Amino acid sequence: MNEVIAFWILSTVAVLGALVAVRKRNLIHGVFALLVFFAGLSGLFLLLLAEFIAAVQVLVYIGAVGVLLLFAIMLTERVAGDDDRRMTSRGWSWGLVAAVALFVVLLLPAIQELPPPEAAQAIDPSVKELGHKLMNPYVVTLEVLALLLTAALIGAVTAAQGVRMPKEEDSQE
Amino acid sequence: MTLHHYLILAAVLFCVGLMGAFTRRNAIVVLFSVEIMLNAANLNFIAFWRYSDNPELLHGPMFTLFAIAVAAAEVAVGLALVIAVYRHFKTVDLESMNTLREE
Amino acid sequence: MSTTTLALIPLLPLLAAALTCGLQNGRRAAGVAIVAMLGSCGLALSALKEAWGMEPTGDPLTFDFEWLTVGNDTVINFGFVLDPLTGLMAAMVTFVGLLIFIYSAGYMKDDERMARFFCYLSLFAAGMLGLVLANSLLLLFMCWEIVGIASYLLISFWFHKPEAAAAGKKAFIVTRIGDMGFLIGILLAFKTTGTLTLYNEAGSGILQQDLTGTVFGISVAAVISLLLFMGAVGKSGQLPLHVWLPDAMEGPTPVSALIHAATMVAAGVFLVARTFPLFEVPLYEEGILKMTHVVAWVGAITALIAAFIALGQYDIKRILAYSTVSQLGLMMVGLGVGGVAVGMFHLLTHAFFKALLFLGAGSIIHGCHEEQDIRKMGGIWKPMRVTSIAYLCGTAALVALPFVTSGYYSKDQILAAAWGEPLMRPVFWIAAAASLLTAVYMTRQCLYVFAGEYRGGKTPHESPVTMTAPLVILALFALGMGMVFETSIFAKLQGEVIHDNFVIAVSMAVALGGIALGWLIYRGRALGQAADPLAITPLVQKLWFDELYAATAGRLWALAIVIAEQLNELLLFVRDLAVLLADRIGNAFAIGGDRKLIDTLAFDGMCNWLRSAGHAVTRPQNGFLPGYLRLIALGAVALGVLVFWIK
Repeated sequence: MNEVIAFWILSTVAVLGALVAVRKRNLIHGVFALLVFFAGLSGLFLLLLAEFIAAVQVLVYIGAVGVLLLFAIMLTERVAGDDDRRMTSRGWSWGLVAAVALFVVLLLPAIQELPPPEAAQAIDPSVKELGHKLMNPYVVTLEVLALLLTAALIGAVTAAQGVRMPKEEDSQE
Repeated sequence: MTLHHYLILAAVLFCVGLMGAFTRRNAIVVLFSVEIMLNAANLNFIAFWRYSDNPELLHGPMFTLFAIAVAAAEVAVGLALVIAVYRHFKTVDLESMNTLREE
Repeated sequence: MSTTTLALIPLLPLLAAALTCGLQNGRRAAGVAIVAMLGSCGLALSALKEAWGMEPTGDPLTFDFEWLTVGNDTVINFGFVLDPLTGLMAAMVTFVGLLIFIYSAGYMKDDERMARFFCYLSLFAAGMLGLVLANSLLLLFMCWEIVGIASYLLISFWFHKPEAAAAGKKAFIVTRIGDMGFLIGILLAFKTTGTLTLYNEAGSGILQQDLTGTVFGISVAAVISLLLFMGAVGKSGQLPLHVWLPDAMEGPTPVSALIHAATMVAAGVFLVARTFPLFEVPLYEEGILKMTHVVAWVGAITALIAAFIALGQYDIKRILAYSTVSQLGLMMVGLGVGGVAVGMFHLLTHAFFKALLFLGAGSIIHGCHEEQDIRKMGGIWKPMRVTSIAYLCGTAALVALPFVTSGYYSKDQILAAAWGEPLMRPVFWIAAAASLLTAVYMTRQCLYVFAGEYRGGKTPHESPVTMTAPLVILALFALGMGMVFETSIFAKLQGEVIHDNFVIAVSMAVALGGIALGWLIYRGRALGQAADPLAITPLVQKLWFDELYAATAGRLWALAIVIAEQLNELLLFVRDLAVLLADRIGNAFAIGGDRKLIDTLAFDGMCNWLRSAGHAVTRPQNGFLPGYLRLIALGAVALGVLVFWIK
């Protein structure tokens, strides 16, 4: 019973958060709505007995990604949001149509295809188990991920910094 | 709670994100939408793991973990690009960035 | 006598013609021609000897070879025939021809084109001999034409004289008219009998068959003979196709002697003689009218009128020319009333004395420094003794001086034959009148030329011996031939010598009376200065035959030219029309079709459509990111539906 209530509350929060995030003209408000969405999703993870993931979600998404987005917003826009420009892009109705269409398509398997298992399987959540799994057999993935993160770091720094066109031979490197 | 609930929820969230990506002019809001979509996918993973036959394989959390990491990296790089673009175009309005267009 | 020997008779002169064709040296050419003619003469005489030994009523010797085959079974033969008629003609042609060749060597020795002259003479001789020997109508016709060509070449030998060139053309064209009839006759004969051979070993020659069938009610043999006679009328200068003969005197005198006295003009007479069996067939089945009667009448009228015209001429050669026409008429009369023997006998005697007269005239002209008008002559007797004597012999023969000349015998037979047939009595009187006139005009001519004082410029002189020797030889023949050969010729040619006292009396009276008449009229006159009493204008003007022809045929010709020009204009108009039409159609296709349809519609249209299509295709590429995203989403939707459906 509690599970049902929790589900519905958390899902509402998540959906609302997402909606506000994409509909707000003021981007700071948007970011904060997004953070709420992340939080809702974390709760849903908890509900699905994936505590570690829930923790990681809060850490990474709310802590890092959200903050990053905030910084980016501050760096690129007047914070108050767009003034006389339109919020939506040209032909936004088409986008709506596409989204709805995809939703319908996604529903098709979601509704019909699966014979659903009735209940979630109970399992002892264990971080230790996760760690085991990471080391073997997923160790390669782990290393590749590390590589990816390094590459992303370097790429982000380079991209954000910009490429200076050397006018003279004695350019600053 | 059945699996279907989670699946439909994930679908809804995904399409919300999609709608945001299609509708807004601001590049950063598009990044918002991308994050929402990724999260919806993660939810799908965990839900399927939870309702699978042998959850001791921990395939759900593993994938989600990596997806989160990748998403974070992608946001970082994406925002760096947005900043770089902003420096050139003095805006992040997607409609203004049409130099790739055939005249 | 084999085919080769007979074939050589015409072939030797032909070879001489080919050899002299490219020569420049006249004397060498003369030598070649004379040698060839000598050979031919020898062969002809031996052929005559053999022919003379044949039975008169038997079939003649024939030598045929197949020339071409038409279809499956029609064979056209070429060949030669040997009988007394042919033998006689061949011998006469070669002998007289030889004498004239020798004469020409002297006459033409100063002419720069002498070699070419002998070439043409040899060609003529070859053609004439081939004509005489032919057993096939086709070969005969071919040689007929060769002779015509040679005559044209020889008449207009001095072609830089416009009169000579015109005379050559006239001769050829006028004889051509007759030749047209000849050709149709040949075709009709071929159609009727299926062959062109005259005598056949199998007895199926044209002259050996009895031809049946009628054309427009007239028997076919008579029609064929009429058509052949047309050719003879042209070639032998009978009325109305006689107009070319006097003009042909423009040629050198040897030419006149050989061709227009002795041989070529005799070809027509020979043709009638050769195909005589056809002439003897009655015109209508139940009638008695035959082609021979027609021939006799044509000949008689010709003889009379030509004799009249001769009275009015002043050119020495022209008088002789009209005399020839008249004598040819008499030959036709002879053929018509008496048959082959009578006509051919007169042809033979005439050949000799007319050739003599012409050669003599040539000698006189030469002696008078190329003067031909008799009014400018006179008193030739003393300076040119030999020529004068020979000429007088010829004149005597022509006038038919009784008993001592050959002409008397031949003309006597003609008159006798005419008298013998009651139907032909009118012809008899006409022939007698013509003989009278002959005597008159010849006396006139002789008085003009030989008597009195010379009225010309320089003194006349006698001709060289190359020219006088043939004259002497011919004179001997002119006098003696009649008496000597009459009986044998008539025997061999299946004729009958008639001795009718009445006729003899008439011919004597005509000859002597004519001489007396001429003597009376012309002797003592101041010839040349005073007017000539008999040369009245119509006669001088040749009875206006040429003018008549010019007015009618000439007008017709001008009309034909106008019609031809109009047709030409019409053709040009049609051509212009066609060009215009082609131009329009071409334009329609080029502009309408090509430019509008293909260029504008297809080509430009296609290009424009491609450009618009390309434009439309590039429109999604607008750099509009949200748009791209939507498209991706739509693609994903499509994929999902697809997967769902496949499932």
